[in-house]
Amino acid sequence: MERQSSGVLVQRRSRQSYRSYVGSHLGFTPGFTQRRLTTSRVAAARGRRGARAPGGRGAAEASPAQLALLAREWQLSYVTPLYRFRHDQLRSYARQLGAFLAAETRRGEAAEAGLQDGLKVSITLVAGMAQTEEDPDAVFIQMHSKRQFAAPDDAPRLAWSGWLACVGGDADYLRSLPPDFVCLPLLGASGAEGLTALVKAWFRRTFDCCFGPLEINSVNLQWLAALWTDCHAQTSIQQLKLVWSLPVEPPLQVTYTVHPQDAWELWKSVRQPGERGEEEVGEEDGSIAIEEVARFIKGLQSHFYRHFRVELSAEQLTQVSTALGAAKHSGRLKISNSSYMITTLTLLTECALLKMPI
Amino acid sequence: MEDPTRRMLQQLIRRIPTQMLKTSLSRWGRLDAEQLDFTQRKVVWTECLLALCEESGLGVKHITELEMIYVIDNPNRRLWTAYQLLEPEDDARSVELTHFKEQFKAHLAELNRHVSVKIKKHTDEEVWIRIAWGDSFSRPNHLKPTYVVCYLQTPYVFVNNLTSVQKPLLSQALILATKYSSIKDANLSGRKLTGIRDLLMKQFRQVFPSKHLQPLGENKQINSNPQIGCEQEEQSENRLQMACEAFGGGMLPELQTATYKLETKLKDNTNKIMTEREQPFRCVVTFASTNILESLRHSAMTGIASTPVTPLLSSITQKGRNHFVISDKGPGRLPQTPHPTK
Repeated sequence: MERQSSGVLVQRRSRQSYRSYVGSHLGFTPGFTQRRLTTSRVAAARGRRGARAPGGRGAAEASPAQLALLAREWQLSYVTPLYRFRHDQLRSYARQLGAFLAAETRRGEAAEAGLQDGLKVSITLVAGMAQTEEDPDAVFIQMHSKRQFAAPDDAPRLAWSGWLACVGGDADYLRSLPPDFVCLPLLGASGAEGLTALVKAWFRRTFDCCFGPLEINSVNLQWLAALWTDCHAQTSIQQLKLVWSLPVEPPLQVTYTVHPQDAWELWKSVRQPGERGEEEVGEEDGSIAIEEVARFIKGLQSHFYRHFRVELSAEQLTQVSTALGAAKHSGRLKISNSSYMITTLTLLTECALLKMPI
Repeated sequence: MEDPTRRMLQQLIRRIPTQMLKTSLSRWGRLDAEQLDFTQRKVVWTECLLALCEESGLGVKHITELEMIYVIDNPNRRLWTAYQLLEPEDDARSVELTHFKEQFKAHLAELNRHVSVKIKKHTDEEVWIRIAWGDSFSRPNHLKPTYVVCYLQTPYVFVNNLTSVQKPLLSQALILATKYSSIKDANLSGRKLTGIRDLLMKQFRQVFPSKHLQPLGENKQINSNPQIGCEQEEQSENRLQMACEAFGGGMLPELQTATYKLETKLKDNTNKIMTEREQPFRCVVTFASTNILESLRHSAMTGIASTPVTPLLSSITQKGRNHFVISDKGPGRLPQTPHPTK
């Protein structure tokens, strides 16, 4: 079973041609989650490395639905597994959600949510937003408002959009779910908060799931900083910007903006050549180890300390941004380049799975 | 009322919160503000105000007056950049207002014919200048004026909203009118005019190093816990003393940011590749808070920033700057010549 699934996996990887595999940062996860998630993912990723098709990187062809995920800031939440969710019922779900929203409007409760009459809801599949065969397909929800005095050729205004995805979810965990459950642990929402609340309410009612805020902690922000910096050789990151917040009175914010080339050279210098063979360094290498991320951030922090005598490692990292994307501690995410979307979402799926109550 | 005048008044009213506008209107005194019903929506009474102005035959000149009243009363709502005049002539200190006004207007008009200048004395030393710029083909644009605040007996000038084209003209007129030889960017900017002025003119309580700890107000609060060991108490007192030496005691001037452009080598014992690299590690560090000096002093007091405070941070108060370029060149860690930064 295990072998079979990795065979399929390799095929998919070469076809989709995404790159960095998110290594294990599970050293930081609380003990109880380890039962669910394998702790040796770096090893697993490296084991598969030999089988990867050559030239399997670079910009992946993004589908239109994937493109819709770009250039918008998403507020992330985790979602517990959906009970009796079926991917072939999306049209019917769209109708039901539309009816639910209309009913809420009539009850007047949605007035504050900025909800107008006549929202057109569509729910579609997003192709290609998965990493393994076990990942359920991602779902994209859009709500367009019909303007009363719109000209016939006016495009309807997008009032709310959101997606549910599972990218590279832990295989053991996905397999352990009872057959009636579908796991799409990551929700990204963009639009009025009132509408987000209504959509969540409908999902809770229909699929017996629950939602919670997905904060991106310092460690995961560091991972994103390293992941994005690693891409600089292919796509310019323009700059690496890290923001820390210091708990003093009044609160102090430290913004650390690094020249892209220098950030990349620092990253290259902390990569461990010994463990993966010299010829591969800086070339095609899919995995990133937690130690490398730690050394990268420590390098930045010690340079800072030498000048300002403030130890950033003790402070909270609240924001990371590059031209490829931006993430905030509060769970806001923006992905600006489709090539690295899968990588980023793999990391966040893992965060969501860890955040979920068991 | 002409269209441009109308637009100017509309824009001005849009920008000012109603409460503040009420005060400014009564100080302006050009029309009876009692006739306006401020409980209505802004759009509604703006129309009434426009009609009133038209009735009273008020023009651009009067509206700039209103704008100046508002800006002078609320100087902390725009971004100010500090400049410093250099090499005064012998009689520079004795320049008085009437002479300055005449000279400034004359010189500026010589450099740019289409310019409208209004000068107002606020306090004895504080002079406010409003400049609406035009060019050879256009009339002065009153929608985007430059504000300049001069303190005649000091070499400091504070400027808001100045383009790079206008900068040499203003510099020239200022130098000639104040009898100085040159002017430079003071590498200091902030949203609170009072904050950057107090910092530059050292209008805050400076604390100097001394062997005996000064009885500072904050001491007692920190040491109220009798459980704190003697040594710890001494340490925290030490930190407090050093924090105040670096940033000042009591209330500190309000500054929102401090920016450091670092062009220094990355030296790290654990990273041979980067340490051996020839080129500097290029990065920009910005500290931001509602009052960074308070924040930095607090971080030194609580130990978040190690004491003694690094000269990079204490330079903000010591040198009265908040823009720095730091490179490895030159003696010391701070550059000896202030690089202009923007």
